[in-house]
Amino acid sequence: MATFFNFILAHSGDAADPELLHWIKERLDQLFGSSPWVLVIVMGAIIFAIPIFVIVVYLIQGGRRADTDRP
Amino acid sequence: MNTLQKTKKPLYFGWYVCAATMFIGFVVIGVRNSFGVFVDPMSEEFAWNRTTVTIAASLGVAVNGISQPFMGQVFDRTGGRNMILITLAVLGTGTILISQANNVFFLVFIFGIVVSMAQSGPALSNAAALMSRWFRRNRGTAISINSAAISLGGLIMVPFAMYLLQATDNWRLAWVIIGTIVLCTLPMAFLFVHERPEDRGLFPDGDPDPVEVGSIPRKSLIPGPLTVESWRAAFTSAPIWQLSGSYFVCGMTTTVLSVHFIPFAMDDRGVSGTTAATIFGYMMGLNIIGVVGAGLLSDKIGGTKNLLALVYLIRGLAYILLLSIDSVLGMWVFATVAGFSWIATVPLTSSLTAEVYGTKAMGTISGISFMFHSFGGALSIFIAARLFDITGAYTIPFALVGAMLFPAAISAFSIKERKYSARYQAPVAISAAGD
Repeated sequence: MATFFNFILAHSGDAADPELLHWIKERLDQLFGSSPWVLVIVMGAIIFAIPIFVIVVYLIQGGRRADTDRP
Repeated sequence: MNTLQKTKKPLYFGWYVCAATMFIGFVVIGVRNSFGVFVDPMSEEFAWNRTTVTIAASLGVAVNGISQPFMGQVFDRTGGRNMILITLAVLGTGTILISQANNVFFLVFIFGIVVSMAQSGPALSNAAALMSRWFRRNRGTAISINSAAISLGGLIMVPFAMYLLQATDNWRLAWVIIGTIVLCTLPMAFLFVHERPEDRGLFPDGDPDPVEVGSIPRKSLIPGPLTVESWRAAFTSAPIWQLSGSYFVCGMTTTVLSVHFIPFAMDDRGVSGTTAATIFGYMMGLNIIGVVGAGLLSDKIGGTKNLLALVYLIRGLAYILLLSIDSVLGMWVFATVAGFSWIATVPLTSSLTAEVYGTKAMGTISGISFMFHSFGGALSIFIAARLFDITGAYTIPFALVGAMLFPAAISAFSIKERKYSARYQAPVAISAAGD
């Protein structure tokens, strides 16, 4: 039963394979140094860049939408 | 200059919907995959054994898979917007509440049931159904962008959780931060996740009103002969069984390698752990190119079932290469070939489902198809591990699972797309269509 649960855990964490995580960590440590806070800030910035970029584009295009809606 | 400015159209709102669901999917899959990072620190603090904590994860996988068709039904009946907003709020709050876990029952309830069920709300099956309403000509591309979020979420959110845990040295605080990130998707969902283009006075793909421009409707506006109002009707016809059957094999062949590839590379091929992980990471990177490429090709050249069959064939070829070339080079060749086909099946299967059955019951139908995919995955892990225990190698389980890709390719290829897909229906004049 325990083995079965471990299979399922592995399935639920496709990208969380320990070897793969170790490899990603090594590459990132090489790039940004080994301070975990630096990495947290860099990766957090990447994560939040997506919605910020989308909202900025939407706001920039607001003027264009207004022009199109104007009769 | 002025004329040029006047004729420049704003970006179609559907692309904002697509970006929002992609970001939500990216965060949601990240929460799910990050659980593995927390197993050791949580086990250590409570002196639980590893299996105790993994009960929550295994229950979560089952609950997530089973609840997808039900969430799909809620999506179809309510339109989806409110359901996505509510499930995101529950998911964020539930993730924060994991930080309050003091006994295993609480953890199993919060992660295994509440969080896992909430994850089914904004799941890819519902995102694909939403994209199918907003897009017709660019449907494959929009779904493929959402599918790529699966890989990106795993590759960015999981290391993020790992570093967060290392930086804070406090798993409770790390869960609070991750839950807060989930809650931060709410404003974006509120702004952009709208149910239908009609709600904003638009037409799919941002096209002009066909009645106003006096043109005959595009072929894709004509419903196909199998267009259904309820999911039950879809399952009385052949194409959904052909799609779900091949999707089952897709689940088997991707999941078995996600779990067993690195052990296979290290134990069977004698590759170092770092090299095995590098090859696997390279393959995961390539699948983003593969999935977006598949969506684009499906939209531009059509013949979605042929592309789907080709993807299964390519993956079958990759399995042959993996088993026949006994060297590190062989593993790199495998990763290159397999990488392009890894999740390319998702936009092809989803867009073909929408083209054949329409969008009214798409959430439920897609949810059931994804459940087939999950069952295939769970079964393959179990079979591969048992056969490894018996034979001492991964060769036989990989050969068995890989061989199933060829019937899957035939199943996809034999779908009568020209007969059933809305894309290939003969155009009718507006007056006739409206009457």
